[in-house]
Amino acid sequence: MSWIDVGALDDIPLRGARIVKTKAGCVALFRTDEAEVFATSNTCAHKNGPLAEGIVHGKQVTCPLHNWVYSLETGEAQGADEGHIATYPVKLEAGRILLDAASIEARSAA
Amino acid sequence: MNDVMEPPVQTFLRVAEVWVPEGDRLIHKAGDYGSMEGFASASVRESFAKGEGLPGTAWAEGRPVVLKSFDGSYFKRTQAAHDAGLTSAVAIPIFAGKVLKAVLVVLCGGDATHKGAIEIWKDQGDVLMLDDGYYGEAKDFEWVSQHTHFMYGQGLPGAVWAANMPILMRDLGQGYAFVRADSAGKAGLKTGLGLPIPMPDDKSMVLTLLSSPGTPIAHRFEIWDARAEAVGASKKAVLIDGICAKEGPLWAQQNPPVDPPTVGAWQGPVGQVLGSGLPHVHSDATGLPAGYSTMVGLPVYRETELAYVVAWYL
Amino acid sequence: MEKLVVIGAGMASGRLLEHLFDAAPEKFEVTLFNAEPRGNYNRIMLSPVLSGEKTYEEIVTHDDAWYAQHKVTTRFGERVSGIDRARKVVTSPNGDVPYDKLIIATGSDPFIIPFPGHDLPGVVAYRDLEDTNAMVKASSVRGAHAVVIGGGLLGLEAAAGLRLRGMEVTVLHNTGHLMDRQLDETAGYLLQKDLERRGIKVITKATTKTIAGDGKVEKVTFEDGSEIPADIVVMAVGIRPSCSLGTEAGLEMGRAIKVDAQMRSSDPDILCVGECLEFDGNLFGLVAPLYDQAKVAAKTLLGEDDAFKMRELSTKLKVTGCDLFSAGDFADGPNREDIVFRDPKRGVYKRLVIEDDRLVGAVMYGDTADANWFFGLIKDGTDIEEMRETLIYGPAFQGGGGATADPLAAVAALPPEAEICGCNGVCKGDILKSIAGGATTLDDVKAQTKASASCGTCTGLVEQVLAVTLGDGFAMPTEKPVCNCTDLTHEDVRRLIKSQELKSQPAVWQNLAWKTPNGCPTCRPAINYYLLADWPLEYQDDGQSRFVNERNHANIQKDGTYSVMPRMWGGMTTPDELIAVAQAAKKYDAAVKVTGGMRIDLLGIKKEDLPAIWADLNAAGMVSGHAYTKGLRTVKTCVGSDWCRFGTQDSTGLGIKLEKRLWGSWTPHKVKLGVSGCPRNCAEATCKDIGIICVDSGYQIGVGGAAGMDVKEVERLVDVATEEEVIEWVVAFMQMYRENAKYLDRAYKWLNKVGLDWVKEVLADPAERQALVARFDISQSVYQKDPWAERAVPSEAVKFQPLADLTQEAAQ
Repeated sequence: MSWIDVGALDDIPLRGARIVKTKAGCVALFRTDEAEVFATSNTCAHKNGPLAEGIVHGKQVTCPLHNWVYSLETGEAQGADEGHIATYPVKLEAGRILLDAASIEARSAA
Repeated sequence: MNDVMEPPVQTFLRVAEVWVPEGDRLIHKAGDYGSMEGFASASVRESFAKGEGLPGTAWAEGRPVVLKSFDGSYFKRTQAAHDAGLTSAVAIPIFAGKVLKAVLVVLCGGDATHKGAIEIWKDQGDVLMLDDGYYGEAKDFEWVSQHTHFMYGQGLPGAVWAANMPILMRDLGQGYAFVRADSAGKAGLKTGLGLPIPMPDDKSMVLTLLSSPGTPIAHRFEIWDARAEAVGASKKAVLIDGICAKEGPLWAQQNPPVDPPTVGAWQGPVGQVLGSGLPHVHSDATGLPAGYSTMVGLPVYRETELAYVVAWYL
Repeated sequence: MEKLVVIGAGMASGRLLEHLFDAAPEKFEVTLFNAEPRGNYNRIMLSPVLSGEKTYEEIVTHDDAWYAQHKVTTRFGERVSGIDRARKVVTSPNGDVPYDKLIIATGSDPFIIPFPGHDLPGVVAYRDLEDTNAMVKASSVRGAHAVVIGGGLLGLEAAAGLRLRGMEVTVLHNTGHLMDRQLDETAGYLLQKDLERRGIKVITKATTKTIAGDGKVEKVTFEDGSEIPADIVVMAVGIRPSCSLGTEAGLEMGRAIKVDAQMRSSDPDILCVGECLEFDGNLFGLVAPLYDQAKVAAKTLLGEDDAFKMRELSTKLKVTGCDLFSAGDFADGPNREDIVFRDPKRGVYKRLVIEDDRLVGAVMYGDTADANWFFGLIKDGTDIEEMRETLIYGPAFQGGGGATADPLAAVAALPPEAEICGCNGVCKGDILKSIAGGATTLDDVKAQTKASASCGTCTGLVEQVLAVTLGDGFAMPTEKPVCNCTDLTHEDVRRLIKSQELKSQPAVWQNLAWKTPNGCPTCRPAINYYLLADWPLEYQDDGQSRFVNERNHANIQKDGTYSVMPRMWGGMTTPDELIAVAQAAKKYDAAVKVTGGMRIDLLGIKKEDLPAIWADLNAAGMVSGHAYTKGLRTVKTCVGSDWCRFGTQDSTGLGIKLEKRLWGSWTPHKVKLGVSGCPRNCAEATCKDIGIICVDSGYQIGVGGAAGMDVKEVERLVDVATEEEVIEWVVAFMQMYRENAKYLDRAYKWLNKVGLDWVKEVLADPAERQALVARFDISQSVYQKDPWAERAVPSEAVKFQPLADLTQEAAQ
């Protein structure tokens, strides 16, 4: 894995999100708890809604356009909706957020 | 109890109407005029400034006012009242603290069998003296009343004064406070409703309505307790006493009372009084107990809190 | 038929006979003896009869017709002389009566202290109608004096009644405070003051020596030589079981006739009910256990199983105007702890006695509203540890479940005449009739009676009537909870946020037992709104609990871009503003649309450009139009009297004033205003949440209009004469809506629930209006700020940019 420092943990508000631009499109970083961050594709499988603008609750996010709910751990759509978004390895070190560049590369290659 | 009520030949109170302050005038809010359409239409377009007419006088003086005759008085609707056979009136201002909420006016007709009493008793320091009253044809009783006073806690007026709450008494002729019992019995006065009338100057007065079966003030009386001390914080009231010619006594038979009738604000006619804090005159049978077609509900304030609701039905 | 003989026509035996005739009308042939020359009456109501507040006829529980109907042979005014158990016969001077089963319900005798002179004429007990009539007679002499010996329940009721009858009354009590068996010292003191206030003299620690008089009572003397005049002396010091018949018949006796839990004496054919029996070492004086005994005895007679159980007792004093309640045990004890509440101004005293985290006693004086709740806690032995701190404040402070009395109980207590549906004048009786006719659902009732068919405010009430009447036959559609995170409704949550002073989201989640760690997209925006509306100064608005539009202060479009709409006060703009809008549109490549709300919408703005376009618009003096909020949107106006030949008032000017006052405020749902300069209504004010129509004489304020999925005309709130009044009423209405409505209820929906009448009544009070306006202004001191300007500064603008851009790095 090749970890890239994308920013400070405190740049994301608690229960909020920010995006990171990549060649393969935007990755959304969700801060679900004081020291818990998930990274997923920012794009809803339904109508491409920007997931980083959704409300973050528990370890889930709800798409701002049509209320699809995704698990941030698995990327699976919840409830009756069927769909999947990519998830990416992310880790926290000394208040910094590190994203695995390799997995994002892999996605753009795929 | 009798299921059939003899329709009264004539009721003691012919008209009840509610006037409420709007700006610097009292305007007509509601009224029950029976079939007196002329007087009704003369009334609904009327309004009174402070000190003007009967309602305005009650407002200005901050106390109940009895008008035994309209001729030559400040009464404004004299002609219409004459035409409707009305001869006298009592105006009762309802104050919440120093704020006038409304004036209830009741009007009476005059005929030879017309017995009943509306009395106003005034706090004279240590005794209650009759301030004024309207007795119809119960002249002896009127004379006795003028020469009676009540100590704290004594008789219906004294009890209301001491308990600071409305009280209902049955069978006034059966020894209700010495001197008056006898003449009350002779006058046929049977049921008495007494209520405290707080005045804006912190003095208190007691209003009593004494009803005879022949020309009744009402066939049904109710007293509802709305004090937070009794019902908690929510705006509601429980029936604590009542008498009904059809249903008999209207009070809880158990001690402590189990599930007494309760109304919430805006629920039914009594609820209107509770909700609005104003007197309510209900002139159709909808929502009233079976067999009744009119109801007058009156709020009783302690300071600025609506403490009780009294209601009478015909 | 079996022969049943009942000795004593009191409250217990009356109830017993009712149970018996209900269950098996033909099983027993009943003979009823009573030493008093009358049948069953409600003895506990003798006090109001004494005072004149009730009549004897009103307290009769069973009249001659009832006895005739049930073929009861009545032997009233006849004292039974003995029981011959061997022959199974009750003996009486007027003829013996054989029995198969016998009920002894002889009650109690008043206890007479044998002071010298206790047998003088004019000394009475207070036990039956004879005593009551003797007192009434004594009171008929003007200025007569009464002395009541005994400051217990009965004595005080006698004293109050005699005072009402006009007598000069003195109460003598031998201990230090009144009602010492039910009250503690403080409550006894408050009671004494209340009684003294109504002219009753009270002497405690009285040392009565004699009752004296020449041929009849004249005075009472004391050990210290003093004396008081007395025309009547009422001895109300207590009662003792009247059970000599049992002793003479050789039944097993304690202090009274001993019975088992089936109410059988040592002779299984002889049962007892009431004050003449002893069960498990206890005697009984209050009515509730007597009724229990009557029920059990009836079952025993019918051969059914039942057992009498002791239960906690409570007392209320029947003195008009005295609020007193006492229940349980409140003696001091080593493991006992007191909670005391006093409010000297209101004359309120409450004391709770706790033992092992259980409430064991309660005394209340002056405020008995929560008496039944406390009594329930005592009776059920509820563990009160968790609510100990707030226990004394009653159920309203306990939050959550059980916070309020069961609303169904209140509905059940409504008389049939109670109006349920105000719109269509439908009373409970009508609904009951339709239910009796087969209606089982809300729709059935609605179709048959029109109840809840108009405004729908009473829907819940109609459902409760159905639930009360049909019981399990009707599944109550419970008010929907906010979301799956909680079982509480929006109304519950709003109420609890206020009453428990919850001022943060974690406080709400914790105290209201949220099932999820931090809510969901449904409850978070609602809770965020309730908190900021109720605690504007304390609560910090949480952007992460807002939908995207309110968080980003622009409307998201389907392609993820945003629309930006600056405010144009009352629809007025200037050439400079238009130039700034045009330049911004060009700079950020926006589509331009004129809206129905008299503003200009710039569509297709990228998120990262938002702070920049806001800065440009701010520079031209423009602020956010809040086209994206649950808050004030636009105030639509016509040109008004300045330009229009029909205009009656300056509608544009008023619209601008209203908009400048209201903008920035958050509301449960969006709020649109309209101000039309004349009844031609060019500003379409009659379908706005708040619409003002100017007329020659002033302004008509209407509320609750809508032109969305529902189209609704406003209803008139009030007519006023001046612009100042319009502003005051509109602001007060806004604040009332803010404080009371459910999140996402437009004004018309809220009005449907609470009723315009209620809103009118509240707002009609100038003091209420001013208080609402004051609270609105407090909120505006925090929230009337341009959100665009706050976010157009560099430190905030950066948050609208991507956290990182890896497209560059990846290229390297």
